[in-house]
Amino acid sequence: MAAGLDNLKHIVVLMMENRSFDHMLGGLSLVTEKGQKKYPRINGLTGNESNPDTKGAIVKVLPNAQFQGQLDPDPDHHFPGVDLQIYGGQQGEGRIANMQGFVKDYFTQTNNVDRSHNIMSYFTPDKLPVLTALATEFAVFNGWFSSIPGPTICNRAFAHYGTSFGQVGMDIFYILDPIPSIYERMIQAGHTAKIYYYDQQSSTMEIVNLLKNQPQIFATYDQFISDCNAGILPEYSFIEPCYNDHPGADGGQVLASDQHPDHNVREGERFIANSFNAIRTNADLWKSTALLIVYDEHGGIYDHVVPPACTPDGYSAKASDTGTGAPFNFDRLGIRVPAILVSPWIPRGTVVPGTEDPANGQIFEHASIPGTVTNFFLQDDAKRTVREQQAKTFLGSLTDTMRQDDDCIVFGNLS
Amino acid sequence: MAASQVISVPKTDPSAYNPNRPAGKLLLSQTAHLREGLIRHLHELVGILAIDIRSLKTEGDVSAYIQMVTAILHPHGAKSPRR
Repeated sequence: MAAGLDNLKHIVVLMMENRSFDHMLGGLSLVTEKGQKKYPRINGLTGNESNPDTKGAIVKVLPNAQFQGQLDPDPDHHFPGVDLQIYGGQQGEGRIANMQGFVKDYFTQTNNVDRSHNIMSYFTPDKLPVLTALATEFAVFNGWFSSIPGPTICNRAFAHYGTSFGQVGMDIFYILDPIPSIYERMIQAGHTAKIYYYDQQSSTMEIVNLLKNQPQIFATYDQFISDCNAGILPEYSFIEPCYNDHPGADGGQVLASDQHPDHNVREGERFIANSFNAIRTNADLWKSTALLIVYDEHGGIYDHVVPPACTPDGYSAKASDTGTGAPFNFDRLGIRVPAILVSPWIPRGTVVPGTEDPANGQIFEHASIPGTVTNFFLQDDAKRTVREQQAKTFLGSLTDTMRQDDDCIVFGNLS
Repeated sequence: MAASQVISVPKTDPSAYNPNRPAGKLLLSQTAHLREGLIRHLHELVGILAIDIRSLKTEGDVSAYIQMVTAILHPHGAKSPRR
């Protein structure tokens, strides 16, 4: 086992909302230095990717993503909409995924051809100093996909349970099968785990656990900061950003930091940086923690990589639930999302290859989260789906060598 | 950490704050889930309130009732059973 794994005591997952890989990190592939690509191994954009709009015009990816105001109304990311985005409107047997339906689908929200082009926007790296720094200083995954080509709740369920229990939408799901959440597994085995939600006004998207197990599994983000400072972080932590704008307890303003359109992306950057710094500035915690920053799904925003097939999880969603006229057997992943693993045991500039590298590529999805935590802390747990058991674990980029303290970044200007 | 590279994080535009922004599907779904949770909690309360406390005869009966009520009033008190 690598020394980085021998020293690992804490896994922290920060799950953001609704942004695709190409939208947030795709611009890294276009950065040049002395005439050469600076990050040649990142599977981002060439600048020539395109989609047709509803008038048949070709719309190329656009380096004009804005922090706020550009993706309002909220792009469609429900199951039928994502089906259109992936297949470009093809129906029936034998259709081939081509990622050509994003602009057409956003037109259904905007009813405006020009505004429908905004779905092809991406951030230039200089606009996202936090995500850019983390992706280039630590490990970025070329092949991390949302678990379902659908919305938030079912995708987040995969991060907690390794399955959505057959759900492809936003409905409440009832746990009828004996598959405990990763938090329950950890606690039942004598380990420690917590979900840190931002505050009471924002609360959690993980309601079933909230009802079943409060309060020992839950704490607020303030507690996360305190636990980091005190060096008493649980073995496994899951952080939820703030999901809405609301007045603070002191009368101030609390901004949504989840980056869900149309929430401000820069506020999400600050939240990620703050979470990183909380770990980074405690020397003992820093050397013993792996922080995964990942997005729950793409939010309807363009990505060029075709989602691959996956191991079915034993459930099937009926045609009436998918809204596409066909059932879904959980045999294809959702659209690619940003995922970054942070640890001082990871060499600078690590890129974990994905589907672009058939020989060495590795495919990750949100079932990889409980899969990795179970594998690392519990070795195994019988009450898991086949999907989770076969999901790739994500700690492989931790090495035997810990980087010197002055070789690792820290974020400033956060107060 | 004095020698570490410090990446400056720009501040968010103060005009970003808008609590009057229409709530999206995710937030509306979250409220529906919370309401469902409240209903489940209510069912639990109704079940406990339906117990006629005059029917509690033994210390075992009483302790079971007290445990149910205390678990609702003070959930932090839940502990592993001790011998």
